[in-house]
Amino acid sequence: MIGLGQRKWVIMVMLTVLHIVGILMFTRGFLLTRTELPYYSNSSDVFHSPCFDHSQSNATCWTRPAVNRLVIIVLDALRFDFVAPSSFFKEAKPWMDRLQVLQKLASTEGTSARIFKAIADPPTTSLQRLKGLTTGGLPTFIDVGNSFGAPAIVEDNFIHQLVSNGKRVVMMGDDTWVQLFPNHFKKSYPYPSFNVKDLHTVDSGCIEHLFPSLYEEDWDVLIAHFLGVDHAGHILGVDSIPMIDKLEQYNAMLEKVIEVIRSQSGPGGIHENTFLLVMGDHGQTINGDHGGGTSEEVETSIFAMSFKQPPSSIPSEFDSSSCEINLDQKGTCISSIHQLDFAVTVSALLGVPFPFGSIGRVSPELYALGAGTWNLEKVNEGNCLNQLKVVEWMQNYCNVLCINSWQVKRYIDVYSASSIIGFSHEDLLHISDLYAKAEENRSCCSEKLLFNSDEICSSSLPYLKRQIDAYSNFLLSIADLARSKWTEFNLEMMGVGFGIMLISLSVYLFTIKRMINSFGVYLSSFGDSDISFRLLFACFMVMIRACSFLSNSFILEEGKVANFLLATTVIYKLRYSIKRGKMLTEAILFLFLITILRFSIEVGLSKQAVNSLFMSAHSSWMLEIAPSHPMWIFMVEIVPILALTILAYLLYITMACSSYRGIWKFIVWGTNLCYILIAVHWMSESNILSSVLMPHVIVRNYIPRIIYAMGLGQLLLLAFSQLIERGGPLASRKGLVIKIVAMLSTCSSTIILLSGKQGSLIAIASIIGGYCIMRLGNIEQDPKDKFSVNLNFDPLSVTQWSFLATCLFFSTGHWCTFDGLRYGAAFIGFDDFVLVRQAILLTIDTFGFSHILPVFGLPFLVSNLVMSGRTDQDRRLASMQLFLMYLMYGLIMATTVIATIICVTIQRRHLMVWGLFAPKFVFDVVGFILTDILICLACLYYFGFRGEVDGADL
Amino acid sequence: MVKPSSAETPPTSSFHPVFLLQTLLVHLICGVSLGIGLWMAHDVYYISLVSNPSSTLRLIWVIESPIVILLYSYVRKNPNKSSYFKAVVRGLLGLPVGALVNALGAIALGAPVGIQYLSNTVHWSLMMSLFTFVPAASVYGSSWEDWRRIFAHTKPNGFVDYMICLPAHGAVFGAWFGAWPMPLDWERPWQEWPICVSYGAMTGYVIGMVASISFVIIHGRQQHQKGD
Repeated sequence: MIGLGQRKWVIMVMLTVLHIVGILMFTRGFLLTRTELPYYSNSSDVFHSPCFDHSQSNATCWTRPAVNRLVIIVLDALRFDFVAPSSFFKEAKPWMDRLQVLQKLASTEGTSARIFKAIADPPTTSLQRLKGLTTGGLPTFIDVGNSFGAPAIVEDNFIHQLVSNGKRVVMMGDDTWVQLFPNHFKKSYPYPSFNVKDLHTVDSGCIEHLFPSLYEEDWDVLIAHFLGVDHAGHILGVDSIPMIDKLEQYNAMLEKVIEVIRSQSGPGGIHENTFLLVMGDHGQTINGDHGGGTSEEVETSIFAMSFKQPPSSIPSEFDSSSCEINLDQKGTCISSIHQLDFAVTVSALLGVPFPFGSIGRVSPELYALGAGTWNLEKVNEGNCLNQLKVVEWMQNYCNVLCINSWQVKRYIDVYSASSIIGFSHEDLLHISDLYAKAEENRSCCSEKLLFNSDEICSSSLPYLKRQIDAYSNFLLSIADLARSKWTEFNLEMMGVGFGIMLISLSVYLFTIKRMINSFGVYLSSFGDSDISFRLLFACFMVMIRACSFLSNSFILEEGKVANFLLATTVIYKLRYSIKRGKMLTEAILFLFLITILRFSIEVGLSKQAVNSLFMSAHSSWMLEIAPSHPMWIFMVEIVPILALTILAYLLYITMACSSYRGIWKFIVWGTNLCYILIAVHWMSESNILSSVLMPHVIVRNYIPRIIYAMGLGQLLLLAFSQLIERGGPLASRKGLVIKIVAMLSTCSSTIILLSGKQGSLIAIASIIGGYCIMRLGNIEQDPKDKFSVNLNFDPLSVTQWSFLATCLFFSTGHWCTFDGLRYGAAFIGFDDFVLVRQAILLTIDTFGFSHILPVFGLPFLVSNLVMSGRTDQDRRLASMQLFLMYLMYGLIMATTVIATIICVTIQRRHLMVWGLFAPKFVFDVVGFILTDILICLACLYYFGFRGEVDGADL
Repeated sequence: MVKPSSAETPPTSSFHPVFLLQTLLVHLICGVSLGIGLWMAHDVYYISLVSNPSSTLRLIWVIESPIVILLYSYVRKNPNKSSYFKAVVRGLLGLPVGALVNALGAIALGAPVGIQYLSNTVHWSLMMSLFTFVPAASVYGSSWEDWRRIFAHTKPNGFVDYMICLPAHGAVFGAWFGAWPMPLDWERPWQEWPICVSYGAMTGYVIGMVASISFVIIHGRQQHQKGD
């Protein structure tokens, strides 16, 4: 497949293509995407629906309001068996039958109170569930919305509909609600939700505000979110004393709430028409975990109660409940509902428009509970009075379903029109078909109804029934389709993608093996026990790093892990250099550099902790330095510029030492000019020096643009020089070094500018790091013995190089989540937003020090060999070694990415999959493909268009 | 317990049975003193590494240091040239120097730095110094060649070399592995710096001593058979 005699860059391009295909396949199966639509339902929309009765054109509601006020009490992580009577389960557990007030009401009051088993869609975390409950949609892996970081819901939702239809909403408890709906509540009493060890603050706060509010008239919807059960579960598990205490506390609280509402539910009372919902957002396992999709986690409960007696029970065909006799010999019936249906059913009860993106169905049982509040017209046909009520209810329900179906159909149509990854054509056809059938049914049915109004009791029932079935069928099939599209991972696609990645891994290994075999004669040191130990050691380090991705904690602290491993390799090298008795200074310098990098990584992590919800804020001593001290400010201003001067001086030295030709000289001088411009730019931005300089408005935008333009120009010059160059890059002794310096200096100016003031310091750090790795890697090379140049196969150097790159990524203040992107960098030199331009700048900033510079700088590792090599043979050997190093670098990256892939596959139902694993996957994959492409370019650049693996010229 | 076969012959070879007994005794006493330190912390002062890491570590190194220094000074290299007193002084000097080296290494590897961690780090590094640096300082003094042989080449030669090399490497590796669980989000008190690292180091040290003892026993038996 890939053998010798092939051009180097061709091999790399093949590998890149392989990787891209594999990752695309995996991503198609893994990153399920749903586009958030910015549309909102309006109360006037219903005029466009076929269901609207145009004779009553004054109506402004979608559905007839059935209740005026709504009390929603959310008990976080409420397991189904907390609420349902223990007779529903095989054996009674200590935590069952603790909320007895609900069970009693559900069994005695018959139809006006009812317990539902509510089935949630994973992921079962509070934030995602609240989002699902209020939007009536399914959350997916990436909700491609307007904002990545802020959790505020931008889609149409139940709360938004309430507010825009003049309902006043009061909220108390879990502060997640305030994050999701920052401006919606009339009053809110949020309490912090992330201190899991605190069982009581949120609950006491809720209770404190709940009871006074129940006597107030200034709200229409009240939401109280209790967290005690969730927290008790998290720290102690379900089978614990605090959990039972909590449930008993809730029982007392609910008893009191019901008492208060009932006392004022008489005619004219403020709770005359109030509906009570006690619900969980998700369940929990016995250990108190939730987030996944097991039945314990997705099964929660809704208790619904209307304080009016419904006139009739709904027809048994629509009643999916199961009944059991409980201990008191009373029957309790439990119905089942999907959380998807919650938003639309409650909207229908309150008479507000359904959320635009809801795909739920109005649940007949829950909807029927509100039916008691209609003042049904009295019909005097005695013998079919009861049946008439049923018919009227069904007529009404049928109308609601009609609007419901129309709304869902509208959403699906708009979604498929506006989303890139929509539904497949066949699915859409099937949906339209079902909808058309239901509509057709309706038109003929309603005609029948008109003609047969005298025999309404006897004959319309079957029509209505058929009609309701047709709508339900349509709605259920849509929910199924959406579920399969948006919440189920395509494991086959993921498997194929993973397989392709494994193939690429074996291609790497195969190529490396072939190269080593064919050059075995030159690998005089290969086989030496020290070298093979180093190979093992490097493999061990890479494997540790790969395995560390299996745990979310190690991903959170990835920078520290990389630093730990890098420091370990350096300590090994230090030991080795002591053994050889040379290059001790380099080893110690490198260790010192790592120590400094480690602190900057910690500063970056502490910044992340501020943004991240997952990490408790940990204080860093670096931040404790008073930043207001004038000396400190002056240092901050002056040190980066000093560092830039050092960089420019280094460049000057390098060029002065080598006999460079015209074009290279030109490029490097261009970079020095860029450095001066960057210094001017920084000075113009600083507070101390800006007054001295020219009006900085001009400077602020034009200097960066000049730098970008110069960088681009230098790149073009490099490409041009590549075209006219003859005789191969490694033909002359210093050719390689000049090429590396030119390339790195070209890239560096833009990267330093985008990284801000730390840029120049990090650049110096990476130069020192690179130098140390190069020196330590060539420790075997005996400078006296210039005639035998060994092909130095040292995997440890490349491993160190890649670890250093990772450390640089984190020490420049980046981390693997979307809020870790430094958006400010994208606007250096530009004020307006152009997607492609800003995306390129952001990419350069994010991956500059960690991917672009390391890949182009990798040849430094062999520069010593090239410099000391006398014969052409030596230089060709160096060229082969460089290619080997690129292969190894790619192999290390590929191993890491494969580990990430395995990890996200295993953890795809993990609690933090969206907060942590998915962003990590995206960052890794983007960085990996970028590295691949850069390696291709680097091969083209360093080996030339004709550079072949074997080297026929050898 | 293996007894030396002939104690009368002068100790010319570094694998001499006299050294065998010494090795066993030194290791036993060191191990026992470590155990005593932990026991005293637990039963006399009612503290543990988890609840009170810095005082426990202090207790351990205070108990351990005189024993280690005195014992290893006894088995010093070239006992004729350098006096016992000199070896003890070398050991005492080696204690802070080794602590500094260990602390710097730990900081490079990511040990937390800050006022609140200072005493922990100091006591931990003193303990590590006793495991790694002090025995070598007492035995070899300033002989760079011996230091290189033990710590860079890892080519111990003789019972004393093994006695120093194996436990020291064990302690370092143990501490290195002990640092692994630190970032995990189990929220256990022992994940704090330097508790699990200390446990790792002590475990590694004990394993190193056991390895050293078993090596010595095996070697001693071979010598014995050769002698027969």
